[in-house]
Amino acid sequence: MAKSNKTSVGRRGFLRNAAAGAAAGAAALVTPPLVNAQAQNTGTAAPSPGAAGVPAPTQAQIDRETGNVRPPATVHTITRPGSDLMVQTIRELGIEYVAANPGSSFEGLQESFINYGNPPNRMPEFITALHEESAVTMAHGYAKAEGKPMLALLHGTIGIQHGAMSVYQAYYDRVPVLMIAGNDPDFIAAHTAHDMAGMVRSYTKWDAEPKTIDEALVAIQRAYNEAITPPMGPTLVVLGSEIQKDNAPNTKIPAYKPPVFVTIDATRAKEIAKSLVEAQNPRIAVGRLRTPEGVQRSVELAELVGASTSTAATGGPMSFPQRHHLCGPGADTTYDYTLGLETGGAQASITGPALSKTAATRDSVHIGFGGTVPGAGGRGGGGRGGRGGAAAAPPIEADAEASLPLIIEEVKRQLTSDQKARIQARIAKHTTANHEARLTAITQAVESKRAGWNGTPISTARIYAELWPLIMNEDWCLASPSNFSGGHHVQLWDHNKPYSYLGGQGAGGMGYGAPASVGAALAAKARNRIVVNVQTDGDLNYSPGVLWTAVHHKLPMLTVMHNNRAWHQEYMFVEYMAGVRGRGDDRAHIGSTLRDPYLDYAKMAAGYGMAGEGPITDPTKLSAALKRGVASAKRGEPYLIDVITQPR
Amino acid sequence: MKKYYVFVALIALTAPAVTLNAQGGRGGGGRGGAPVANVPAPTSPVTGNAASGKALYATYGCYACHGYNGETGARAFVGRWGNLATEQGFVTFLRGRANVAPLAPSTSMPSFSDTALSDKQAKDIYAYIRTFKSTAPELKDIPTLNAIVDAAKQEKK
Repeated sequence: MAKSNKTSVGRRGFLRNAAAGAAAGAAALVTPPLVNAQAQNTGTAAPSPGAAGVPAPTQAQIDRETGNVRPPATVHTITRPGSDLMVQTIRELGIEYVAANPGSSFEGLQESFINYGNPPNRMPEFITALHEESAVTMAHGYAKAEGKPMLALLHGTIGIQHGAMSVYQAYYDRVPVLMIAGNDPDFIAAHTAHDMAGMVRSYTKWDAEPKTIDEALVAIQRAYNEAITPPMGPTLVVLGSEIQKDNAPNTKIPAYKPPVFVTIDATRAKEIAKSLVEAQNPRIAVGRLRTPEGVQRSVELAELVGASTSTAATGGPMSFPQRHHLCGPGADTTYDYTLGLETGGAQASITGPALSKTAATRDSVHIGFGGTVPGAGGRGGGGRGGRGGAAAAPPIEADAEASLPLIIEEVKRQLTSDQKARIQARIAKHTTANHEARLTAITQAVESKRAGWNGTPISTARIYAELWPLIMNEDWCLASPSNFSGGHHVQLWDHNKPYSYLGGQGAGGMGYGAPASVGAALAAKARNRIVVNVQTDGDLNYSPGVLWTAVHHKLPMLTVMHNNRAWHQEYMFVEYMAGVRGRGDDRAHIGSTLRDPYLDYAKMAAGYGMAGEGPITDPTKLSAALKRGVASAKRGEPYLIDVITQPR
Repeated sequence: MKKYYVFVALIALTAPAVTLNAQGGRGGGGRGGAPVANVPAPTSPVTGNAASGKALYATYGCYACHGYNGETGARAFVGRWGNLATEQGFVTFLRGRANVAPLAPSTSMPSFSDTALSDKQAKDIYAYIRTFKSTAPELKDIPTLNAIVDAAKQEKK
């Protein structure tokens, strides 16, 4: 963003004037004529000199000395601080929460968040984080559940660097996170920098450091738009403490203009609609869309054209409902036309741009980790069952979600009554076939989950299996990654909501599960939803403070420990390495296990004020504990169950 | 990904699977997971000491990939004895794993040289794992799993 050359009569200018005034006042003690001059300038009548050449006291001074008046009340010269306007701008963007660990560089903003407005501390509500890494990952988890950003507030250079890992992870996961960092150049030198955002610029999508209040309001709006526009990612606005505190009595918040999403053109929409309508057996492969509205549109299109669909809902959020009657291989797996929505490998694939492409246009160094390619890392894939039809065409670079209305309208325009009848017949066949496939799959799945059912330590399959009957009739969200816990929900649970499963960490960074679940639970709190966090033990120890945040804010979250007492993946890596070197595995535990002593996570939770129980080693006691946990989470009392598990 | 699948196929039953990125591209069918196998335990002779083997099974991290009971994890072997049919076959298998470090981290079955794990220790481990038995009840005796199937049957057709 262009730097402004504007100047403002800000806090620093005010302080300079005040200092000059104070100096003048001090001088008045020895230079009475100056006092007279000042009095004349202010229109106050100058007293006549006394006998000794000292000015006679004014009437006001006499009144004060004699107790006839009270001392003057403190005068509030800041009637409308810039931070109030910033908060109002954020409120008008629909931001529900701001998570922060306190810091002096944003004291002005924090005061506005908690006191400005009626009611104060709503939209956004201030969420107390115990670490900036947690604050940003909370925003990461929230955005994956809701399809829109919340705000993370960071304190100067130190807060940005504390949050950096989470920023990187959100960037890699293409998740919109809005961040504001405070910058106070007049307080602690180590907490400020000439280019604060530079520390995370390689993995933020956009940043700005506005110099005036007016610019700050525009920057906040643009940061929001940049975050939610494909390729989505974290954005950062650095706000100086001065403009947070400056008075802005006449500043107006600029009208918000939503971003423009790149869509396919009308000609392409007609072509795709025609292909879908005329196909004998069309297929739609749905990857990760942006918002729940996009998911709804994908369902609408599939139902309109009677296409069997694949989903990425078991790999992450915002995809086609897994148990929808059209989701599955369908009655005939020879597809004559396939449309990919944020997936590759179809005759027509509409996929948004990669972050790497955006980064290349920036005036900054790109660290070159390859960006995120649509279709990779669980966002794409052919999904459930079936094979594609003809050879794939190069993807059309546009936002699939924003393009769907164009295709839907074209389909509606082109469909004939004969085609509608044929489609209804096809839907009936697909529905029956998918239901049969579902029953076959679930029968095979439960057979495989029997393994180790009564074993000790407890099998990870049993955790997911015992959980499912307890939550299947609830509105639930599995917010924790399951890649280290067997992923048993994929087969056993029904992922029918855009937020059913929020997927992996993004960049594989640990310290994600608990704070992301807290973020998802913030989204769930007002929506009568519960969040399940199957929490790996190594991961929890990066940011256990979020347990307190969950309790403090009364979040509906159940944490079930997958406690294998190790960073187990690494343990296996080291075992193999020792093996190929012929040195044996008896020391592979060094540095990759959590033993001597074992951690007691129920006690840890208790320390943070969270109800819980465990460690549980007897599998027959698991179900009752989970029942207690679900009930507690539903009451808004987060709960932790420590389960000693098999490694995987 | 193709390379990964071929690799997994080659190492078959007794090597752990790479699961770090296993979520990629997974569709609605979910993860695999072979049904509980019911191949009877081998009856070949056992010469090792099972009690000693129990300690070695833990110390040498066998549980990491095969579970504490040999029936969970990426490479469960209870009911699928394969390379574990005989004591000598087991020892030969331990010695015959790869001895070249890959560039990428691997969770494949490690190699156990005789300097790292003696024949006696290997046979003790074998004696211990031969004591493993399935703890899996019959499906009809697991109400939770039956409830899951019943719920699926009730899903809207």
